[in-house]
Amino acid sequence: MLLEIKNLIVHYDAAQVLYGISFDVEEGTIVTLLGNNGSGKSTTLRAISHLKKATSGEILFQGKRIDKELPQNIVRFGIGHVLEGKGLFPYMSVIENLTVGAYLRKDKKQVALDIEDIFAHFPRLMERRNQQARTLSGGEQQMLAIARSLLGKPKLLLLDEPSLGLSPSMVGEIGRIIRDINQQGVTVLLVEQNARLALNIAHKGFVFENGNIVLQGDAKDLIEDDKVRKAYVGR
Amino acid sequence: MTGLLVVQGVVSGMCLGGTYILLGLGMTLILSVMNILQFSHGQVYMVGAFTVYFLTVDAGLSIYIAVPIAMVTTSILGLFIERIFLRPVKGDFLGYVLVTSGLGLIMEVLVVGVFGLGVKQVPSLCSGSIEISGMFFARDRLIALLISAVLVSVLQMFLKKSKFGLALMASAQNPEGAILQGINPNVMSALVVAIGSGIAAVGGALGGSIFNLDPYMGGAAFGKGIALIVIGGLGSVMGTVVGGLMLGLSDYLVALFFGSQVASAIPLCIVVIFLLFRPRGLFGHD
Repeated sequence: MLLEIKNLIVHYDAAQVLYGISFDVEEGTIVTLLGNNGSGKSTTLRAISHLKKATSGEILFQGKRIDKELPQNIVRFGIGHVLEGKGLFPYMSVIENLTVGAYLRKDKKQVALDIEDIFAHFPRLMERRNQQARTLSGGEQQMLAIARSLLGKPKLLLLDEPSLGLSPSMVGEIGRIIRDINQQGVTVLLVEQNARLALNIAHKGFVFENGNIVLQGDAKDLIEDDKVRKAYVGR
Repeated sequence: MTGLLVVQGVVSGMCLGGTYILLGLGMTLILSVMNILQFSHGQVYMVGAFTVYFLTVDAGLSIYIAVPIAMVTTSILGLFIERIFLRPVKGDFLGYVLVTSGLGLIMEVLVVGVFGLGVKQVPSLCSGSIEISGMFFARDRLIALLISAVLVSVLQMFLKKSKFGLALMASAQNPEGAILQGINPNVMSALVVAIGSGIAAVGGALGGSIFNLDPYMGGAAFGKGIALIVIGGLGSVMGTVVGGLMLGLSDYLVALFFGSQVASAIPLCIVVIFLLFRPRGLFGHD
């Protein structure tokens, strides 16, 4: 297993958000966490990258416990986290955002090649390479956020609501990008409100409700599940 | 004759503005990266000035050697301040206010203890004046202006081009986004306080050479720094430069025509106007 979550409990001050959830992410897959607002999906991602301290529980990455690490060291293990709202540096240019994404890397030449590679994959970012990030469209910002985290060479990518606020055509585009990234060997843990998008590209899904996992299974089974269809797919 | 006074007033005002800029840059960068007002930054500036005073008047060094030394020692002082006093109260707003204000008082008392009360002056950078189309300009002011300009340019290059500079800007613009790229926020805090303190020391030394210095100069300087942040916009080097020049020029030119009482009210009026009509400052972020 690439990532194992065991009995994770998280509080925000006195309020409990996660009630001892456990799940695994197998290497090479796309796993999605579904559920309503406030059901604890984003908090799970924040606990994995340690932006939020867990109250108790274990988080293992490649068999090693990482729940005692500092958040700035998580990327060294090969975990990239794209925040909801993207976490970009709004007054820095596209190329500067990407440069910071390679902050920890020493292989300067390879970084330059990787940035060229990213521009080849995302021509829209290439066109806007010297524009400030805040002047990009929502979809372009999401591409930039994903591209930036790829420069950290992640084995596991945590994506928090990548389709939020995007146009339907851009949602499809982001879906294709996520599948591409996965096919290149990056495992993806995807938090999404858009269950249709998520279940279409994911291998496995976990449904969150009030800080518990209430349903889990293969994505192709979940998408046929009546409860899931009614609650999250909207049809 | 008035024309000559105005031109000389412009040079002196820009020179004074240069010292404000060197002080204010540290304050605005510290505030944008660490989210705190460093209430003792004015005293750091004062300590920098007195370090140069000690190295020149007491130890007999040239001011051109003393200023770089003071820049380094004051940066180290900044590192100590961050590590020993600021990091333990990280995230505690009231703690920051108390610790930094208290530090300012301690630095003032220590300097009074060592150097005594009273106004002092650092030796001049250069004597004499040069003539440009019939007008005479004091050389030391032009040199001070040049030093400020070079230092600001170097800082701007550092922030724009170097790895650590970009990381600082990133931390200021999105702290969590920066952490997730592997940027250690404690390193950034240490770096920004050290750089800000070192630059402030040069500002204090230039001010102490062209104008004068006393152990309580930090308080008034801090006020100017606050005004600069409001005018220029948080975290903006460009805004700090423009704001500093505005304040320096108004100090001189308004005094020339309306007297120094009116001049001392102008910065406050500018601050009020900015807060009312453009609270994010000239070049500030939202």
